[in-house]
Amino acid sequence: MKKIYNIIWKDTILRFSSLSELLFFLILPLIFTFILAGGTGTQNADNRIRLLVVDQAQSPLSAQIIAELAKSATVRPDVLTLSKAESEFQARNASVLLVIPADCDSQTLRTAAIVLDLRQMPDNLNAQAAQRAVQAVLYRLGSAVSIAKNAVTEAEKLRSFASELDRQAYFDTALASAQSLMNSAPDRENVVMGGTIDPIQYDPRANSSAGQMITWVFIPLIGISGAFAYERQRGTLRRLLTSPTGKGTYLLGTILGNVLWSLVQMTLLVSFGALILKVHWANNPAALAVMMTTSALAAAALGTMLGTFVKTEAQASGLSIMLGMVMALLGGCWYPLELFPAVVQNLVKVLPTTWAMQGMLDILLRGQGVIGILPVAGVLLAFAAVFFVIGILRFKYE
Amino acid sequence: MKAILEVKQLVKKYGDFTAVDGISFDIMEGEIFSLLGPNGAGKTTTISMLSTLYIPTSGEAVIGGHSVTKEPMAVRNLIGVVPQDLALYEDLTARENLAFWGQMYGLSGKTLNARIEQVLEQIGLVDKAKDRVKTYSGGMKRRVNIGVGLLHKPKLLFMDEPTVGIDPQSRRLILDSVKELNKQGMTVLYTTHYMEEAEELSDRVGIMDNGKLIALGTQAELTKQVGEMETLILHVGENDDPERLAVALRSLKMVRKADVTDHTVSVIVPEAEQALAPAVTRANELGIKIHSVDMREPNLEAVFLHLTGKALRD
Repeated sequence: MKKIYNIIWKDTILRFSSLSELLFFLILPLIFTFILAGGTGTQNADNRIRLLVVDQAQSPLSAQIIAELAKSATVRPDVLTLSKAESEFQARNASVLLVIPADCDSQTLRTAAIVLDLRQMPDNLNAQAAQRAVQAVLYRLGSAVSIAKNAVTEAEKLRSFASELDRQAYFDTALASAQSLMNSAPDRENVVMGGTIDPIQYDPRANSSAGQMITWVFIPLIGISGAFAYERQRGTLRRLLTSPTGKGTYLLGTILGNVLWSLVQMTLLVSFGALILKVHWANNPAALAVMMTTSALAAAALGTMLGTFVKTEAQASGLSIMLGMVMALLGGCWYPLELFPAVVQNLVKVLPTTWAMQGMLDILLRGQGVIGILPVAGVLLAFAAVFFVIGILRFKYE
Repeated sequence: MKAILEVKQLVKKYGDFTAVDGISFDIMEGEIFSLLGPNGAGKTTTISMLSTLYIPTSGEAVIGGHSVTKEPMAVRNLIGVVPQDLALYEDLTARENLAFWGQMYGLSGKTLNARIEQVLEQIGLVDKAKDRVKTYSGGMKRRVNIGVGLLHKPKLLFMDEPTVGIDPQSRRLILDSVKELNKQGMTVLYTTHYMEEAEELSDRVGIMDNGKLIALGTQAELTKQVGEMETLILHVGENDDPERLAVALRSLKMVRKADVTDHTVSVIVPEAEQALAPAVTRANELGIKIHSVDMREPNLEAVFLHLTGKALRD
């Protein structure tokens, strides 16, 4: 036991002999957690394209156009004066501007065409998408207008209107009726979604806190491979194994030390998440402890296994950073897994980061306790067992 | 005297290559025993087997009554190893290194602290003990490397070419330390390819070449193998062909052997002084310029040359 403690102490001094270690241990994880917690937006934010609208008509018809645009899933109308709207457009604060002219009313519509002015930024995908959204709204309104015009024509065949006012009133009624019927038309498309829909909403703070913790803890743990390469390159491992110290003692000391430090690191990052980002890490401390430990063991085991394949410390360092980052990205630690195609979501289940992230989110967002996260913890322990067995069997001192 | 190390028919093979080929020898308690041989002779592989790092392909070695293959932990408690290359944590101080290694050898508390102070004194680094090893000179690092091997006062100390690549001052300090340790009762197995070191330190010498132990005995016993022969060493110019001179010298009646290493011709003769004039004459006849001449009485170099037909530094 004394020797294990001695190895842990030696590794600790070596690890923190350079202040730059603090950068990776705490500073960068905190910075990335903070940035991503606020930078990914929330599910409730309105991400539609901003459409500048100038309503020069101020008529019921123009109000109707604006109301229809507001229902669009693509554009978000922002009604301004012409000068203000043009100023915003010039400043490139919006990519598209719609001017509804003063003659846009149902009276003009009944007798003539109304020309709307749509200004777009050139070669801009948002502007093109907004144009399609505006066209869709106008097409819908245009169809109702055609129906109303036809209704007036057919009515005149049966009897003449007493006055122009009567004709206009009939047109308005027909238009309202056509719009009402179109709005209440049944869906002709039946969409069936398979699987169980997760009712939990995306929370950028929780995702960032959990994801960055896994990322920055996995990288140094995979970096255990570097510790083995370091000892082999310097001949200290060879020397150690001529002392009355077994291979098992050395491996246990090295792995245990790294796992303990990763738990310290995780505790600090969890505290930051709970205190600064108000993430509900305290939901279930026991479940959190299980997830932290099993995640750390899986990562440490992966590092142990890799340590038997790499030859130099530099090789191990590069590999652990690259592997840690890629695994974190694909495991949903940087972006929600739901953004990936279904095939990818299934493929990434071979990564321990995917399971670690799922377990953390189960605690944070789904309120799971120890029993709830046991299957995920079991998978992580299985990863750890496989990697450790391969690593220990392949372990060599040179 | 009792043998602390008994080696019997030790073999180490890597596929078809035999690194150590059936060597046998004993080392007595309190003895300095040197394994002398050129690079690649099998010295380090032998030490690696004796220190339980490599498992021998066949044969057996027993240290203090414990088999290196069957009781490796018991053997490790008896031995200390000073490896050929530095095996230290350069980001730790000398004291931290000694503390770590001492604990790995089972020392602790006051005993450990006392031993650290003694060893620091012994390797002359008391003043620099709190500096990180990476700030040390090559010689100082070597001294710490040796200090680590001494901490637990091993019964048998393996020193694998500890003076390779260091300055003369550090080399002298190391050789004196080995003698001092031996005076205190420590048995030492010292490997080297420097004949002078083996001659200065050893009670007995084993000469290795191509994995085989080709000679074993005290220096006197070994030099008897070349009789009363002396060595005449002729250093020729860089543009001259020493092989032509060697061939010419071999035709002289008094010359028993003439071999070439780089720009040097080593000639084994009964009396080097008498052979000098004819040798220089032959060189002049061939138009070869002799830059300098050494004459040596029978030594291990001559023994090696006699046994292998090549110089030790080949």
